[in-house]
Amino acid sequence: MSAPMISVRNLAKRFGDNQVLRGIDLDVQKGEIVGIIGPSGSGKSTMLRCLNFLEQYEGGEIQFDGATVGYRDGPNGKRIGDSEAKLRMLRAQIGMVFQNFNLFPHMTVLGNVIEGPVVVKGQPKAQATTEALALLERVGLADKANAYPSTLSGGQQQRVGIARSLAMKPKAMLFDEPTSSLDPELVGEVLDVMQSLAEAGMTMLIATHEMAFIQEIAHRVVFIDGGKVVEQGPPAQIFAQPTHPRTIDFLKRVRVYKA
Amino acid sequence: MSYNWHLYIIWDYRWVFVRGAMFTFELTLLSLAVGVIVGLPLGMARGAQHRLPRAIAMPIIEFFRSTPSLVQLFWIYYALPILIGVRLEAMVACTLGLGLHSAAYIAEIFRAGIASIDKGQSLAAKSIGMSYLTSMRRIILPQAVRRMIPPFINELANLIKLTTLASVLAVYELLHEANDLIAQTFRPFEIYTALAIAFLVIIFPLIYLSRKLELYWAKRS
Ligand SMILES: Nc1ncnc2c1ncn2[C@@H]1O[C@H](COP(=O)(O)OP(=O)(O)O)[C@@H](O)[C@H]1O
Ligand SMILES: [Mg+2]
Repeated sequence: MSAPMISVRNLAKRFGDNQVLRGIDLDVQKGEIVGIIGPSGSGKSTMLRCLNFLEQYEGGEIQFDGATVGYRDGPNGKRIGDSEAKLRMLRAQIGMVFQNFNLFPHMTVLGNVIEGPVVVKGQPKAQATTEALALLERVGLADKANAYPSTLSGGQQQRVGIARSLAMKPKAMLFDEPTSSLDPELVGEVLDVMQSLAEAGMTMLIATHEMAFIQEIAHRVVFIDGGKVVEQGPPAQIFAQPTHPRTIDFLKRVRVYKA
Repeated sequence: MSYNWHLYIIWDYRWVFVRGAMFTFELTLLSLAVGVIVGLPLGMARGAQHRLPRAIAMPIIEFFRSTPSLVQLFWIYYALPILIGVRLEAMVACTLGLGLHSAAYIAEIFRAGIASIDKGQSLAAKSIGMSYLTSMRRIILPQAVRRMIPPFINELANLIKLTTLASVLAVYELLHEANDLIAQTFRPFEIYTALAIAFLVIIFPLIYLSRKLELYWAKRS
């Protein structure tokens, strides 16, 4: 097996007195799709945000595509913070999709999608626009290019969010509960887009409560509780024969596991 | 009451009022320029993530908000020259004093405007690789400016009223002209009434506009 795309070792993070992550270990291979499940408050969002250093962390180490994330080792065991420029370059390579979409409300759909390529990467606007329109086609929103986000449904907004991330041509995508704030009838259209990404071979980390979807799409499911990876494995195994009592308990509560 | 109104006095001396209004206008604009130029970075520092800029900005803002503007003017005009050995012209002292005073309020308006934007916006901007300054310029400020405009207009209205303080330093703005005129004509009633109305005519539309904008934008979002 080649070097993993994402490698997390003993990741620790706290907010004040609240130790949220207590030594997470996780490897994600290129093209792999990993589902992150766990009770709310277990640290899923925090972990995802550490991966592109939207959150700082106190302990452990993260590597993305062979480069350290946030810190590197300095002399006498001290960590040296990465430069802002390096962090920006890292973030430009990792797409992130948010539970609340976080579209830029003062820009059109097209404006949202070309913002990164034009402003961050310095792409010519015409080229970025052509590519953005192709992306919007791909997420089924070509006709909404000139609409403002507030006029779209939640499902449409989230698809724009995905297109905005894809426009940066990321090497991996992080999804933080992408369908949790959607009305049930709008979940499917977003999952369809994610499915097509999966088929195209995108490396994906997906924190979600959509167990059926994860069971179908993920190569591996990671169950996090209390800031630790409690159990992980292929979906068939985790959903059908979980071994850890906390996993069993969690799956019972979300009604996937009946035994 | 049988007071004998002499309204023609206002008309006779209309050019004095116009001259005073021009000066009031000039002082307002200059002070506003100082207020914005100092207030914006001060507000950004006040809302910064790092402790150091916050620790510098906060006492400055609180000092100017917690002491009377008149005392600040006197201090800059009479005390500061002792410290720096240069005598400031009254107009300069007033511009500086009123400018710094409004800078403290503008800084707060600016900080609150930025703070009112959802955290998810800067997360999203960061996640596509934007720098802090770029995300401010492209994402946060364009949204925040809207929320800043109504309180900013209110602050402008305050500033216009505060310019009357400059009369004590012999700056020939409206109030000073009016006082001089009263000394000549002994008609305080007519002249102060006219003065009040002059300010009302300038300031009320501003406050009205600010309220309308607030309502308009509240409805649209
Ligand atoms: N910015 C923050 N400041 C303080 N505490 C936070 C912050 N973000 C998350 N937390 C806390 O960290 C814990 C884990 O949160 P989170 O990562 O959002 O969990 P999950 O995504 O699994 O629901 C929770 O206890 C939450 O209150
Ligand atoms: Mg979460």
